[in-house]
Amino acid sequence: MTEPQPVVLGELPSLSKLYVNAATTAARRRVMGTSAGERLPVVSHEVRNVLADVGNLTAYQHLVGETASDILPAGYVHALAFPVSMSVMNRDDFPLPLLGMIHLRNHAEQHAPILFSEPLDIRSWAENLAGHRAGTQLDVMAEVRSASSGDLLWRGVSTYLAKGVFLPGIDKPGNSNGSPGSSDFSPPDPTALWQLGLDAGRNYATVSGDFNPIHLSVLSAKALGLRGSIAHGMYLASRALADVGAVKSDSFAWDVTFEAPVFLPARVALDIATVHSGSGGWERSDYVAWNPRSGRRHFTGTVSALS
Amino acid sequence: MTDKYTQLVSHGLGKDVAKRLGLPQPVVLRRYQPGAPLVTGPVLVIGDSAGADDIATTLLGWGLDVRRNALPKEELGAIVVVLDAVQHPRDLSKSVLTAGTSLRDLAANARVVTISRTSQSAPSPASAAARQGIDGLLRSLAKELRAGTTANGILLDDDLATTSPSALGALRFFLSGRSAYVDGQFLTVSSTSGMLPNDSDKPLAGKVAVVTGAARGIGAAIARTLHRDGATIVAVDIPAAGDHLAAVANEVRGTALQLDISRDDAGHRIIEHAIERYGRLDIVVHNAGITRDRLLANMDEGRWQSVIAVNIAAQLNINEALMASKYFKDAPRIVSVASTSGIAGNRGQTNYGASKGGVIGMVRSTAALMESFGGTINAVAPGFIETEMTAKMPFAIREAARRLNSLKQGGQPQDVAEAIAFLASDAAGGISGEVLRVCGQQLVGA
Amino acid sequence: MAVADETSGGTRNQGSAPQAPRAAVIVGGNRIPFARTGGAYVKSSNQDMLTAALDGLIARFGLQDERIGEVAAGAVLKHSRDFNLTREAVLGSALSPETPAYDLQQACATGLETVIGLSNKIKLGQIDSAIAGGVDSASDAPIAVSEGLREILLDLNRAKTPVQKLKIIGRVRPKDLAPDAPNTGEPRTGLSMGEHQALTTAQWKITREAQDELSFNSHRNLAAAYERGFFDDLITPYRGLNRDSNMRADTTLEKLSSLKPVFGKNLGSEATMTAGNSTPLTDGASTVLLATAEWADAHGLPKLATVLDGEAAAVDFVHGKDGLLMAPVFAVPRLLARHGLTLEDIDFFEIHEAFAGTVLSTLAAWEDEDFGRTRLGLDGALGKVDRAKLNVNGSSLAAGHPFAATGGRIVASLAKMLHEKGSVDGRPARGLISVCAAGGQGVVALLEAA
Ligand SMILES: NC(=O)c1ccc[n+]([C@@H]2O[C@H](COP(=O)([O-])OP(=O)(O)OC[C@H]3O[C@@H](n4cnc5c(N)ncnc54)[C@H](O)[C@@H]3O)[C@@H](O)[C@H]2O)c1
Repeated sequence: MTEPQPVVLGELPSLSKLYVNAATTAARRRVMGTSAGERLPVVSHEVRNVLADVGNLTAYQHLVGETASDILPAGYVHALAFPVSMSVMNRDDFPLPLLGMIHLRNHAEQHAPILFSEPLDIRSWAENLAGHRAGTQLDVMAEVRSASSGDLLWRGVSTYLAKGVFLPGIDKPGNSNGSPGSSDFSPPDPTALWQLGLDAGRNYATVSGDFNPIHLSVLSAKALGLRGSIAHGMYLASRALADVGAVKSDSFAWDVTFEAPVFLPARVALDIATVHSGSGGWERSDYVAWNPRSGRRHFTGTVSALS
Repeated sequence: MTDKYTQLVSHGLGKDVAKRLGLPQPVVLRRYQPGAPLVTGPVLVIGDSAGADDIATTLLGWGLDVRRNALPKEELGAIVVVLDAVQHPRDLSKSVLTAGTSLRDLAANARVVTISRTSQSAPSPASAAARQGIDGLLRSLAKELRAGTTANGILLDDDLATTSPSALGALRFFLSGRSAYVDGQFLTVSSTSGMLPNDSDKPLAGKVAVVTGAARGIGAAIARTLHRDGATIVAVDIPAAGDHLAAVANEVRGTALQLDISRDDAGHRIIEHAIERYGRLDIVVHNAGITRDRLLANMDEGRWQSVIAVNIAAQLNINEALMASKYFKDAPRIVSVASTSGIAGNRGQTNYGASKGGVIGMVRSTAALMESFGGTINAVAPGFIETEMTAKMPFAIREAARRLNSLKQGGQPQDVAEAIAFLASDAAGGISGEVLRVCGQQLVGA
Repeated sequence: MAVADETSGGTRNQGSAPQAPRAAVIVGGNRIPFARTGGAYVKSSNQDMLTAALDGLIARFGLQDERIGEVAAGAVLKHSRDFNLTREAVLGSALSPETPAYDLQQACATGLETVIGLSNKIKLGQIDSAIAGGVDSASDAPIAVSEGLREILLDLNRAKTPVQKLKIIGRVRPKDLAPDAPNTGEPRTGLSMGEHQALTTAQWKITREAQDELSFNSHRNLAAAYERGFFDDLITPYRGLNRDSNMRADTTLEKLSSLKPVFGKNLGSEATMTAGNSTPLTDGASTVLLATAEWADAHGLPKLATVLDGEAAAVDFVHGKDGLLMAPVFAVPRLLARHGLTLEDIDFFEIHEAFAGTVLSTLAAWEDEDFGRTRLGLDGALGKVDRAKLNVNGSSLAAGHPFAATGGRIVASLAKMLHEKGSVDGRPARGLISVCAAGGQGVVALLEAA
């Protein structure tokens, strides 16, 4: 893959504008019958000297259950980088419709703790356009570096699925790529039980800036074809990360695979299992969340030490 | 706290209205306040015996304004009629009629006190007739007196001087506001034991006193009064009354002992508590009591037994433990609360009457047992006292009971407490086996 | 009491040897009866109840106008206005107003921790007398305004102009007006205490029958203790209540076994925890008078028992390593080891009955060979608790559990039991207290007849 060309944006794009733009683009494409093509743009977007807003950081920390320390939670960094990623997916030459895209997996690596006062350079691009049995998937990459030293501090890979979109030249894979069926899942004893109100989506939208209508209200979600509003995947994953707590070291990898969406309001059961290495140190914490009534699995994931 | 009726008819308009309607006109009784003078005006001492002279001298020594002859139109605080030497009923007339001429000069809340001898110890029938005659005369006189003035008598055993310690103790008690609701009663002094207090406002200084049933009513008043007089209080009541008991104990700076006095080990628990906390035990006041009224025809065993158990059996049992204890040997005092129902009887109270009559019998018999170590035991028999117990009576009966006595009002718990405080004091060391009624001279019954 | 024997006295360097700490004796205690929430104390505040319990203690021991070394108490559910709860209660009591006081809070272990902390001060010679205590009201629990309204109110407070204020008031939405009542859910897991215990109960395979039987015994033992007059000098009535209102003297195993499960209904295994074998929300307060032996003697007061030692432990329940209420399982072996004792050396066990399952899981863990080896670092199981010595005068299942008041209830009762027992095989009778607490904590203490 060719090294993407950097486009430096003046400031962090506004997510709400991006969503509006995405909606109009989608409408235009529907009306005009046009398409943006079949290839990902070979370009990366970058915003320099981004500074976290400390009030917003605190609100985020409270919401997901992190201690309000001066260090940015990995999920918060994701939220900080998200507008940059969105701006990539919102480009006119981006081949997939942004709205209605489904978050399949997320991988993040925290290489070093990031203080809220540290100016950051954030870069994002898309790659790995691939077929999925239900449509087309891609990885949206993001990198966060220290603006002063240029050191890589955080790296994220978000895998999205554009459901029902099949691009010419991209093959549907076999069933192997599908998520493991949740039929063989038998829920363990929970270590936590979350009560998520109807406003869980709005609350997370407020702190993360991710105002995707599917999270905001029953009405806005229905407008996009869902039976109700659903919780942000990254909100759920961030709470799980917070629940893993302080055992995790300064640098770690954080993975989550989303399965059934969490329709709000909801009770979500969670189990965290800590795995220690032979030497007794923390190796990783595996987590799984499910619907305590139906036993249906919502997501699984791991936080593991980065060696 | 005076009842509303008494307050109303004692002042202005209400007083006039009551007078015109012929309603009883109770006055607000003079009750003891620390530091208050013993009597409200000069004291007329009547009698020609040596004993009378001794009394006059003693009263002078107390700083009182003493008269041997009445001054015309002078308002008197008290008349003391000394009749210790009468031999024949004929001997009464002079002193008694002299007193009669001064009755109109008595101030409100004044006192008439007779000092005479017991008829049981009389050397001759005539002497006995004279002595017993004083009983009838005094009780009648008490019913003639008005405006809170009372008449009470002191009876001396034959060999006792009019100035023996407890005679003077009793005289002070009767003259003072401490005896406000005691009327038409006698106290017998049977020995020279006892001594007057150094500080007449703290007659119980240094004493440790146990008061049962102290959570409320008369018991709470006893605890307060004994504390005021200088005693350290162990307040006893059933565990279920513990919150009120704690409030009383804290108020009197004493300790609360939650204990059902009808428990077998009650006496032991009381002694243990007093000795452990204070190292001594001087006074036990048996006040706890219950009523379970029913006509005998309808009486069930539970009602009967519980009244007997609490009101008399418990006292007997505790006394036994007290008298067996080496800690109860230094001129100790027991004062029991009986009731006029135990003397005159009361419809619906056969069980209660039995128990309270029992208290009187117990007190008389126990007195002899306590003599050897200078101990005394006495009972106080309250009449109608304004408490939660009597507040439960139906209004009409309560109103009638309140007025049917020479003072035309119910007594206050403090009145009972004052009598008990006196009997518990060193000054009453020569008085034992007695029953003192605090009833405003109830008109019915005995 | 610790008296150095001759040999150790001889070998010790007299000049520099630290002073043997003084003993902290329990003089006695007082509590008000515990009332089921919404019952007799429905309008009483924490301060009201703590003051009532204090006043009863003062009356019992004649402490009016006494300047006590220090009073420490606390509440788990606390109003912000109660920022100085204990001192305010002292000021409202008959104690000398010159008695200092402080608040302490360690969830359900609050009461026991006040006893341990004040005992330590006495042992160190900082104070000669102390009153430990605790109070809780679930009836008068603080209701917080919703987070939204709270922020609006705080902003309103900061606003300067009327226009700013109006704007801020305009932000209030109906949902903001719904009050935010406290719940007993663990903040980090969202699981209620009962749900947590249900996990532990299932994990240790505690049966429904065993739980109901423990609850039955608790009620029976408590009722018998009342009948015996055991509480006559431990309780002062309040608001017309003279016995714990949760107590059912006439309950039967049949009645208990007919109740429907309330916790653990979503677990794979059978739900076994009912309202009958779980403690209900309760209101109440308790106090304990502590002192040096000299102070007690000088005041002519009894010496029931001494506070030998205490130990706290905590577990990682957030990640499911141990059950939320299992911390005492770890604290007890540490405490016993420090004194060279085993479970056999204990004459009375007072294990707080948060739930019947808590007590039974604790006992099961101590009897488990593997758990003893792998988790407690012992050669095998810690040992068996003789059931005849367990909660012999009833415990929280019957009496109720006003969180911070439970420690004081247990300490005063146990001290009296030890005093009555006196000595066993020529040594003072010993009692062990174990109290589990929210947040995966546990506090335990060792008492000895004085
Ligand atoms: N009130 C009157 O008019 C009147 C008249 C005559 C006699 N008395 C007597 O005076 C005494 C006090 O009467 P009161 O009017 O104050 O009554 P009360 O009912 O107001 O108080 C009696 C107290 O005794 C306590 N008590 C009852 N049983 C007890 C037990 N087994 N152990 C310990 N404490 C117990 C009660 O709890 C209560 O606090 C009683 O003996 C009563 O019979 C009262």
